[in-house]
Amino acid sequence: MEDMAIVNLKNVTYRYPLTDSPALQNINLQVIEGEFVSVVGPNGAGKSTLCYTIAGFVPHFFKGEISGTVEVAGVESSKSSLHEWVLNVGLAFQNPFNQISGAKYTVFEELAFGLENIGVPREEMKIRVEEAMKLTGISDLADRSPYSLSGGQQQRVALTSILVMQPKVLVLDEPTSQMDPIGTREIFGVIRTMAEKGMTVILAEHKVEWIAEFADRVIALHDGKILLEGIPQEVLTSDFLLDKGFGISRYTSTAREAKKQGLWKKDKLPVTLDEAVEGFAK
Amino acid sequence: MKTGLFFVVYNQLMHERLSFYTKRDSVLHRINPLTKLTLVLGLILISFFSPWYWTPHLLLLFAIIPLSFFGRIQRNFFGAFIRLILPAAGFLFLMQAFFQPIGENTIFQLWFLDITEESLLFAFRNAMRVVVMISSFTLFLLTTHPSELMSDLTRRGLPGQFAYVILSTLQILPQMQAKAQTIIAAQRARGLDTESSFLRRAGSLFPLVGPLVFGSLVEVEERAIAIEARGFTSTHTKTSLHDIPDTNSDKAIRWMLVGLIIIALAWKIWLL
Repeated sequence: MEDMAIVNLKNVTYRYPLTDSPALQNINLQVIEGEFVSVVGPNGAGKSTLCYTIAGFVPHFFKGEISGTVEVAGVESSKSSLHEWVLNVGLAFQNPFNQISGAKYTVFEELAFGLENIGVPREEMKIRVEEAMKLTGISDLADRSPYSLSGGQQQRVALTSILVMQPKVLVLDEPTSQMDPIGTREIFGVIRTMAEKGMTVILAEHKVEWIAEFADRVIALHDGKILLEGIPQEVLTSDFLLDKGFGISRYTSTAREAKKQGLWKKDKLPVTLDEAVEGFAK
Repeated sequence: MKTGLFFVVYNQLMHERLSFYTKRDSVLHRINPLTKLTLVLGLILISFFSPWYWTPHLLLLFAIIPLSFFGRIQRNFFGAFIRLILPAAGFLFLMQAFFQPIGENTIFQLWFLDITEESLLFAFRNAMRVVVMISSFTLFLLTTHPSELMSDLTRRGLPGQFAYVILSTLQILPQMQAKAQTIIAAQRARGLDTESSFLRRAGSLFPLVGPLVFGSLVEVEERAIAIEARGFTSTHTKTSLHDIPDTNSDKAIRWMLVGLIIIALAWKIWLL
């Protein structure tokens, strides 16, 4: 598995400058090409730091002390430079407002910004932007000013502006925090499609129901350490996580209570609505 | 209530008018930005260099005003002319007419201040030069999209970082103003005094500045990450989404303007 892994973290420990305790401790993580891995954990668990590490911003941008190795597509992060690294690994994060470049007047130009920077020829640029907009459902926003959009729309633009660069690995840190449930579902669908096309996805997210439905694997992070990892259904229903303050789905907590009363007959607890309905119907 | 309404209207205006640029379909809009910039510089330099008294007046009447019709932005141009350019030039005219101690033929006296025929003529020309300067820049800003100008200049070797700073400032300033209003509203909701005596209001600026400045610093970090993630520091040669044409006639016009500037300068030196 380690040989096939496109993302390969070995014994990574990292401390931000001017802090005493490490934000990440002994992280070992292998992700294979086309896999959709989700990272869960309470606030301050190190989800964003892990995202920044894979995306190369730790340590290239944030400095600080790092030990262990981070490899993407066979290249070691510490031996590469950030501007080469971002060609392989794309990053979109939570606050959409700060991800707007500010130098562009329309959404279309905003999406082309990254392609201009890496020197994509004009004709190809237009095709790629149009395709990406179609994919995330923002074609009708092409001529709007990025600043006139709602939070959810801006988040779609932020995600699209990374997708259009066609990275091998897509790192997303709560990319749907400002979207309504319908929007979230659509975006998770888009991310799933990208993974099926061979893009590797690492997603930090709180919305466990969606993770259970879409992700291949879940990593549970706590105090900078990986506590559990495995298929979503098992990790997200573990009693162990609940005690540590992880968010769990309402279907899981309902079924958990029901189990105490003897109303939930199955062994496994549900994460999604469908699983809950099926379990209670028995 | 009144102030609230004012801020709403103000923010609306700021959102709509991120720059002076007014979209029209005209030759002046389509001309290469550098050519227009050369034209502006030419108009200004010639009006300042030319020793002939009526040069700036004629440039205004027979070049700048016709150009505003040519660019189909005459309404916006005259709007700016009346609200901005005339008051500025009028003030300059009065100051120079009163305080320029030249000439003997006193026309008018106010206490110890004389207005002479010479100082009047002097002030008139200087005011006209300033009118030419501001109005030709107004013409430029009205017909040139900032991002078009910057991509053209970047292609000619202006550092990308420099262009980014200019462009993002144009857009982020209105955003910061809007944010300042949000913070004021939030602080007022918690009882901050923004309507009593001057000193108290000055004091109430402090709880505004903190969130605005520190918030902006955090934003700067995130924005740096975001543009870095999109290859901003890439060593590839940048390309541009928009094709900004630079025709042979553009080049010819630019050289002609450079020639005119040199002639005006030479004339001035020769006369000295």
